[in-house]
Amino acid sequence: MSGVRYLVGLGNVTAGDDAVGVRVIDHIWANGLDRGFTAIDLGANALNLISYLNDETEAMLVVDATQLGLEPGEFLVFTPDQVVTQKEQAGLSTHEGDALRVLDLAVTAGYAIPTLAIMGIEPLAMACGGLELSDRLAARVPDYAAAAIEHLLKM
Amino acid sequence: MTSSVHINVHHLTRVEGHGNIVVNVSDGAVEKCEWQVPEAPRFFESMVRGRHYSEVARITSRICGICAVGHTLASVKATEKALGIEISEQSWKLREVLKHAENADSHILHAYILVAPDLAGAPSVFPLVETMPDVVARALRLKRLCHEWGSCIGGRTTHPTMVVPGGMAEVPSMKELRELKEKLVAAVPDLEATLETVAALAPNIPAFDRPTEYIGLANDQNYGLYDGEISSVLPDGTKQRYPVADYKLVTNEFVVHQSTAKYTKNKLDSYAAGALARFNNNYDMLVPEAKQAAEFLGLQPICTNPYMNTVAQVVEVVHSVYDSLRIIDELLEDGVKLEPLVKPTKYGSGADSVEVPRGILFHEYEYDADGFCVGGNCIIPTNQNHNNIQHDFNVLVPELLDADKSEDEMELALSMLVRAYDPCISCSTHALDVKFVR
Repeated sequence: MSGVRYLVGLGNVTAGDDAVGVRVIDHIWANGLDRGFTAIDLGANALNLISYLNDETEAMLVVDATQLGLEPGEFLVFTPDQVVTQKEQAGLSTHEGDALRVLDLAVTAGYAIPTLAIMGIEPLAMACGGLELSDRLAARVPDYAAAAIEHLLKM
Repeated sequence: MTSSVHINVHHLTRVEGHGNIVVNVSDGAVEKCEWQVPEAPRFFESMVRGRHYSEVARITSRICGICAVGHTLASVKATEKALGIEISEQSWKLREVLKHAENADSHILHAYILVAPDLAGAPSVFPLVETMPDVVARALRLKRLCHEWGSCIGGRTTHPTMVVPGGMAEVPSMKELRELKEKLVAAVPDLEATLETVAALAPNIPAFDRPTEYIGLANDQNYGLYDGEISSVLPDGTKQRYPVADYKLVTNEFVVHQSTAKYTKNKLDSYAAGALARFNNNYDMLVPEAKQAAEFLGLQPICTNPYMNTVAQVVEVVHSVYDSLRIIDELLEDGVKLEPLVKPTKYGSGADSVEVPRGILFHEYEYDADGFCVGGNCIIPTNQNHNNIQHDFNVLVPELLDADKSEDEMELALSMLVRAYDPCISCSTHALDVKFVR
């Protein structure tokens, strides 16, 4: 296959470590690391993931802050079928993002889901009004980017 | 008459953000009837202080993931007012097309995914995938079109990067504009099918009427999504316009105990913003295809049923597609080229406005002599609607009681009313919270 590989960052940049996915994308763009794939910042609109689920997509890695029970700053790559969401939400929306619910909708609606994984990064603090990542996560953004790129290109 | 009701909807579903509905009725007397907004303040107006003018819109676009274009445009326009910048006609037209993309995107989402389940008797969009698969597929198809439409002009639809003070940082190529035009033309059958779907569900739209003041942007050239003066229309058709610089004299913000968001009012005790407000103010400026859509769906000005806001949104989707095609044709005829950004001619304060999907949005900033922001003010449309929702509740609840509606029926009617406004109460976090099962 010679389709497109997407590395997608999700998050709210005004909510501290919630923005780590977006910051990883920023780092990739700033350092010209997007070779062999397309880096996408979806920000606070997880529903637009559906726009990238099509026949041309070969693989997708979504980077998002994830409460996994790890030490803050640690990360894990997993596939959607390995987890269930525990997030309490008022419903499907473009504000209160849950990429897993969006993927559920896409599957239910019959979208072709490419080879897809999620890189979940354990947040330290997601305070509203925080324009910066915590120091712990900020220091590791280059590591997250490198790991994400390596994983995506092997998918 | 229903005599005892206890409704407590905690965090209403299918709206953006958090709001509660509380109604207590005993022996036929309404003891409490509140639309409560418990969201914490988000301090954007503080975050922009000390930021260079080139950064402000990057921050304020993050107020909202679906109205990011609108916040970017309002912010950049207010900054341009403060800095004495007048953009080119090309930049103006590109921004208008981008504004249309956002409007259509949000309205498609709202009508299909947030409101349609109520009208179809479903708890959410998920069951509709089984019962109305073609409709859901069409909704997602149109959503994708809008994402590509906005991305073509803005760089991306969520937190666009191409709109900057002084103009556009990048412009689409002629090839990209031609491709966009083809995609919009190809979407017309889906638009027409959307009208058919809405017409089929329209009989389930509740009948409710409350004379209301409607506020929106208006001008003498077009429908007023991107620019204009503040326009008010009263139920009897009386209209008045105000300069945007006088927005505080129109909004008159005040604080109430049940809402962390401020309320607003103008001539009456409350007013409504949004698609229905724009429709009532600017009907004459709709493109012919949109007027035909309105007629087909049984919507005409001045409509004072807030449940019809969703129908007005669908009419606006038609307007946005056809008006964008007109503007794109003009751009293709004139040619599009990258222009240098217009530089500031002064440093001071300025206010401006755009219509975001949910209504009229105001931004105001003050900059020091070095171009750093020393103060900002944002009044979002949903804040302006909270007071009107409360006044709707005050009239609707007694009507529902008199009609002997059950508690469940009343809860649904009140929930649908709030959803009709398409409120956007806050931005929450996006972090996942998972449990491993394998």
